[in-house]
Amino acid sequence: MGNIVGLVKVNNSEDLRLQVSRVTELIDFKSGGSVRSVVVKPNLCYYWDASTGYTTDPRLVGGIIDWIRDKFGDVDIKVAEADASAMRTKYVFPALGYDRLAKEKNVELFNLSNDVLLDETVHVNGREISFKVPATLKKCDLFVNVPKLKIMRATKITCAMKNVFGCIGLRRKMVYHKFLDEAIVGINKLLHPHLTIVDGLVSLGRFPFKLGLIMASVDVVSVDWAASQIMGYRPSRIEFLRLAVKEKLGDPKGLVIAGENLSDFAKVFPKEGFVASRYLWGIQFWLLNAYRRVVGDIIPPILEES
Amino acid sequence: MTNVGIIGLGRMGMLHLMNSLKIDGVNVVAAADSSKKALNKAKLLGVKATYADYHDLLSNSSNIDAVVISLPNFLHFESIQLALEAGLNVFAEKPLATSIDECREIVRLVDKSGRKLMVGHVTRFMEVVQKMKRQMNEGAIGDVEVATIEEVINGPFSHPRVPTPVADWWFDPKKAGGGALLDIGYHMLDLFRFFSGDAEVMFAHLIHRYNLPIEDGAIVILQSNSSTKGIVNVGWYQQTIFPKYNFRVLLHGTSGYLSSDSFVPHNLYSHAVKEGLKNLARKAVGKKIRFLSYTYYYESFYREMVSFFDCIRNDTEPAVPAVEGLKTVELIQAAYTKANIRSP
Repeated sequence: MGNIVGLVKVNNSEDLRLQVSRVTELIDFKSGGSVRSVVVKPNLCYYWDASTGYTTDPRLVGGIIDWIRDKFGDVDIKVAEADASAMRTKYVFPALGYDRLAKEKNVELFNLSNDVLLDETVHVNGREISFKVPATLKKCDLFVNVPKLKIMRATKITCAMKNVFGCIGLRRKMVYHKFLDEAIVGINKLLHPHLTIVDGLVSLGRFPFKLGLIMASVDVVSVDWAASQIMGYRPSRIEFLRLAVKEKLGDPKGLVIAGENLSDFAKVFPKEGFVASRYLWGIQFWLLNAYRRVVGDIIPPILEES
Repeated sequence: MTNVGIIGLGRMGMLHLMNSLKIDGVNVVAAADSSKKALNKAKLLGVKATYADYHDLLSNSSNIDAVVISLPNFLHFESIQLALEAGLNVFAEKPLATSIDECREIVRLVDKSGRKLMVGHVTRFMEVVQKMKRQMNEGAIGDVEVATIEEVINGPFSHPRVPTPVADWWFDPKKAGGGALLDIGYHMLDLFRFFSGDAEVMFAHLIHRYNLPIEDGAIVILQSNSSTKGIVNVGWYQQTIFPKYNFRVLLHGTSGYLSSDSFVPHNLYSHAVKEGLKNLARKAVGKKIRFLSYTYYYESFYREMVSFFDCIRNDTEPAVPAVEGLKTVELIQAAYTKANIRSP
């Protein structure tokens, strides 16, 4: 089942527990052994809610929790996120409705940055990279990765593997941004979600788009391979995916899509132009700096940070 | 020459520093901020004396004529009080303070000190606002019956390319003094007063799209003493990204209407290029350039800073004296009360 990626089309009103059940059946998901502890890791990278395409929809996480209880009984479930350079979980959980979800579903909200952090080192592409790895993610019986389907300037796409990067206990993950592709592959060598369920209900391309997609696989490389095709990128041109294959983290050769047609989602996804996404802001800022030097005008701090 | 110290080097403080450096007759001699990075940047810009604690700047202020204060809301009162007691003229970012009592005390202290205090009601300095006010005063639309004023943006959640945490004080009602209503509602309520005079809050509703301890939006209905009705709509819940700026004023009069949208450049990129080229031409013929005109919005910050230093140099009343800050805070507190939210 390693290379199967399941796709289901969802309307907002549909029972998400049922849809999670459908998509996991498509990939014939079976847990490795008995399940007592579960960690569900959504993508809560910032304070914008799921309608913006930035963060994982708590309704989907609710559906996943219901499905877990159906399948494994009354197990211990943690919904986990780590602090990030620009985000604090203590604010993001209530802001995005996760505290309500936790109360309703009787699950624990867990800050991975406050976990026991294991110092681990890996080599990727000849580079040695050290990480603070939350012990809970290593110990749990079932680690469910729930990324958002979206584009990102630095890596073109962000989905399953990038959401695992979000598990790093260190708050200032900015320190990895100079070698982000290697770092994404590195942390995925250390942390292995048992299941990835992608929130493509509202995806983020050039603008947020109600794609109505739930995608699942047990293999993060396969998920991202499929996700990049939906978002209009050739997977082999996504540097962290190319590296992941080189480092034998996954092999998309035998990738099988089950359920809906991938191309149906790819057709409607609002793709970002390559030049616009990679170079437009850089060119504008270069011109602005040149203008400042010649004319002596001011660049407001917000523009320098943007 | 006016010697100035900049207190607080966040986004606003740094912008005020950059603007002050470009104003004739102004010499930025000191800056204070708890961030080393910000102080290093100030040094790079030519500021000689830098302090990690603003109290040290104030106790070494013998060569300083004025300070520009852009600290978090909960520090406004104390820092303004100390600056006035040190005999300095003050430019204070809005809100003047977080309570009516503190604002009243500041008004009293300004009167007692004989110094100038100007509050950062920057939207009054926007070219579009000044054009609309002029046309309204000339009678172009008759009597204004209803004014709708709105700004829905991302507030403290702007998520810059270089990720920076949203400061904790924004999430603390005691320290922030409020949410979107106090932050940007302050400007919009002030604009209503700017167009229509003193007013009373008739209705207020706070929005909590995000489950935060502070509101992320508000709708306020007002009536001015001249019986103009105002509808103010503000929010922090929209992920708008610069240069987009979701702000508008609509004045409905008895013989016509004025909309800020009519005065705003339709394409902000072509506007930036046009204004940039104009500045290049000015520079080429040795004329003074129009700072920040290419941004449409940020030019108003330069203009308000010029106005502040002019009032010191010419010994005139500041364009926005402390009492204007007090009146706006009174309206905000009235809105919080109407919304049945106890003001923090």
